[in-house]
Amino acid sequence: MIAASAGNVLVWIVWVVAAFSCLAAGVAVISFSNPFYSALALIGNLASLAVMYLLLSAEFVAAAQVLVYAGAVVVMFLFVIAYVGPRKETPWSGGPSWQTFCAVAAAGALLVEIVVAVGMQANGSLSHETEVGADFGTPAWIGRVFLVDHLLAFEITSVVLLVAAVGGVILGSHTRRVA
Amino acid sequence: MLGPNVAWYVVIAAFLFGIGALGVLIRRNMLVVLLSLELMLNGGNLALIALSRHWHNGAGQIFALTVMAIAASEVCVGLGLVVALNRRNLSLDVDTLSELRG
Amino acid sequence: MTAMTYGAWLCLLAPLGGTILITLCGTRIPRVAAAWIATTSVFVAFAGAIWAFLGVHATHQAQCLGTLPCNLPRGEYTTAWTWLAAGHFSVPLQLLVDPLSTMMMLIVSGVGGLIVLYSIGYMDGDDEERRYFAYIAFFVFSMLLLVEGGNLLMLLIGWGLVGLSSYLLIGFWHDRPSAVQAAKKAFVMNAFGDATMALAFFIIIAHTNSLSFSTLSFNFSSTQANLISLGLLGGAVAKSAQIPLQTWLPDAMEGPTPVSALIHAATMVTAGVYLIARTHPVFEQARTIELIAAGTGALTLLVAGLIALVQTDIKRVIAYSTMSQIGYMFVGVGVGGYANGMFHLMTHAFFKALLFMTAGLAIHALANEQDIRKMRGLGRVMPFTKWCFLAGALALVGIPPFSGWFSKDPIIASTLNIGWYGYVFYACGIVGAFLTGLYTFRLWFLVFPGEPSPFVREHYHDHHGREGAWTMLLPVGILAVLATIGGWIQFPPHWDPITKWLAPVAPSLPDAVASTTQETVTSIVSPLVGLAGIAIAWAVYSERKIAIPAAPSVRRVLENKFYFDWLYDRIFYEPAVWLATFLRREFEEPVVLQTGTDLGDATIETGGLVRRIQTGLLRTYVLFLAAGAAGVVLAFLIAK
Repeated sequence: MIAASAGNVLVWIVWVVAAFSCLAAGVAVISFSNPFYSALALIGNLASLAVMYLLLSAEFVAAAQVLVYAGAVVVMFLFVIAYVGPRKETPWSGGPSWQTFCAVAAAGALLVEIVVAVGMQANGSLSHETEVGADFGTPAWIGRVFLVDHLLAFEITSVVLLVAAVGGVILGSHTRRVA
Repeated sequence: MLGPNVAWYVVIAAFLFGIGALGVLIRRNMLVVLLSLELMLNGGNLALIALSRHWHNGAGQIFALTVMAIAASEVCVGLGLVVALNRRNLSLDVDTLSELRG
Repeated sequence: MTAMTYGAWLCLLAPLGGTILITLCGTRIPRVAAAWIATTSVFVAFAGAIWAFLGVHATHQAQCLGTLPCNLPRGEYTTAWTWLAAGHFSVPLQLLVDPLSTMMMLIVSGVGGLIVLYSIGYMDGDDEERRYFAYIAFFVFSMLLLVEGGNLLMLLIGWGLVGLSSYLLIGFWHDRPSAVQAAKKAFVMNAFGDATMALAFFIIIAHTNSLSFSTLSFNFSSTQANLISLGLLGGAVAKSAQIPLQTWLPDAMEGPTPVSALIHAATMVTAGVYLIARTHPVFEQARTIELIAAGTGALTLLVAGLIALVQTDIKRVIAYSTMSQIGYMFVGVGVGGYANGMFHLMTHAFFKALLFMTAGLAIHALANEQDIRKMRGLGRVMPFTKWCFLAGALALVGIPPFSGWFSKDPIIASTLNIGWYGYVFYACGIVGAFLTGLYTFRLWFLVFPGEPSPFVREHYHDHHGREGAWTMLLPVGILAVLATIGGWIQFPPHWDPITKWLAPVAPSLPDAVASTTQETVTSIVSPLVGLAGIAIAWAVYSERKIAIPAAPSVRRVLENKFYFDWLYDRIFYEPAVWLATFLRREFEEPVVLQTGTDLGDATIETGGLVRRIQTGLLRTYVLFLAAGAAGVVLAFLIAK
């Protein structure tokens, strides 16, 4: 699995760093009691994910990730967190006694199962690797695939975004007072 | 492909998903729950991108972009709800939504 | 269907129609209307009985041409439809119209009609009068079904239904615990008899595959005949309150007086006698059992006569008298003199119903008081009652020319020709006649003659100047006339139309026919003995010349009714109660009831456990989502 070459080693190092920071940031998101810090940790998570996308020849998606997720979504989060005000709350608290234990168990079970599945090479589907061309993942290529092969998805996604925007405005507007 | 096998990526994606799920199940602050949801979505995205690369199938990346768009819309609406709740001085603790108690 | 069968169906169905009509009308009709519906239905039945009787009489004339003996079996079966058919065994819904059944039909519907008419006055004002009349019409229907039944199964149906009617009517005043107890006791003891009869029927079916009356002439083996007869005798003994199943009859006096008159004097208790007469072919094959029946009758007539000497309730004296007289009837049919037994049944119906009804007049006039020690001097204020009661009493004791003399003496005389035990029966019969005179006139002298007691003066109230309503006085009068002159119908050996009438279906055994000398002697000795009893009663109770002998132990035995009740209590009742209590304590409560309770508790606990899932928290429900997803993935993994 590990082919010894300089390029490979570099990729591996980058991958390890990115993966580690991704997971660490993920843990941080769910661990901080201050939601502001959680949101900031999410930025770190998204950045490391973008790095991993680059390693996977998905340049456009990496860029979109940073722009949309880190740039817009997380900023929105930070706005609202700031608006709502400081709320500190301890994780792991509240609820019936079996809640936390069962939550850990359920999440852990899912995790273990996926690892096992992967470990078993998913019945052989992960064994055959294909080479990709140089234009794989470029914006032009994405655009062509998006607008030619998956046009319907494109259009529907735009409708969803419109609906969400309208919904957000309505939810955020002042209530009409009944006189 | 240089670097780790696609399996490693999928494992990382699984971990991300698991951590996000744990966060949804454990945290009581609505905002942190939404953040954990983002983690889960990102985990899914990573898996999509990795397997798209593995099988040279563009649909994976397209799907990942769509997921991002959906995630953005969902966050928009969710945060709108949070703002509305806050405006009515209602608590943002998910445990207060307990009227389906038995 | 010929004319006489129409009469039979009319006789049977009229009271049933009366019952159904009263039941359906319910409270929509006034109580008196229900009473008159019942009475009319029974009189219509009487008309039907006369019709049937005339029909049989006509065929009797035609076929027998007036000569004796006439061995043509005279009787016509009339079938409605085949009721039960199972392979070779079939039971049609049929009636038999023959001399024996028409005789019983006349007695049941005639005396029954008079008693139901009497009930109108007696039960007037009772809240549940309609129920009473529905029950009593149903009883008349059941009794008619019993006597008209064309095969053993129809007889058994009637048998069971009269038991039911008896239960319903004894316990008519159901808010009295003593009445309810008495009803249950009667029913249970009768059920014992029903069981033995059923066993006898099973043996009959096993050997002859049929329950028609003709199969009774089948040549059974000695054991089979004995067993069948024993079973039938068990039923007869239970229904007719003979020893050892006699304890229910005195308690049955808890019912209203007309019920006692009709069911427990005139008709139902005589069903045993009718049964033996009807099934005599098989009894004659088991002569021993038949003689045991006679012996039972002889024993009962003595025991009942003795117990009646110490009773203080007017109805119970008459009840024991009934028991005793049925003993005479059992002696009569047991030795083979079926006509004698049936004749005594007829006259007994007259005078016993009369006695009960006059007692009822007294009870009614004294506001339901039944203790004879309080009733002295009643004759002064109720003369009609006094004279009617006297007529009945003289008939009962068997003083000529009253009816009892004609019917009782042939029975006593018929025992002389059958062997040494016949002499025992004869002695019992004579002693019984003495006892009858003694207890009957003890009752009469204590109640009627003399100065009215303070109790009578205080509590006597008449009914608009007369001793009772006309509906009560008229039947009493008619029965007094019948009790006086009814015996003249048969005076063997000079004229015996009843014997001739029954000869085709129940011919007397030759041993049971007494010679003229024996008849004459008995007919003189018996009333003399009876007069002796009356004289002693007069001396002791009226004139107080002789004191009652104070034999406390004897008195105690008599008052405890020879300890039969005590014995049955120890043998049957207390073990049953102990067993029931034991089972309840050891089994029913810990196991059965507790299981129910535990099931309920377990369900509640499970519900409580399940309830805890509903925490109301969003996170919990998401947890379940995640757990479910994990499970599904696991399933896929395993499948792969």
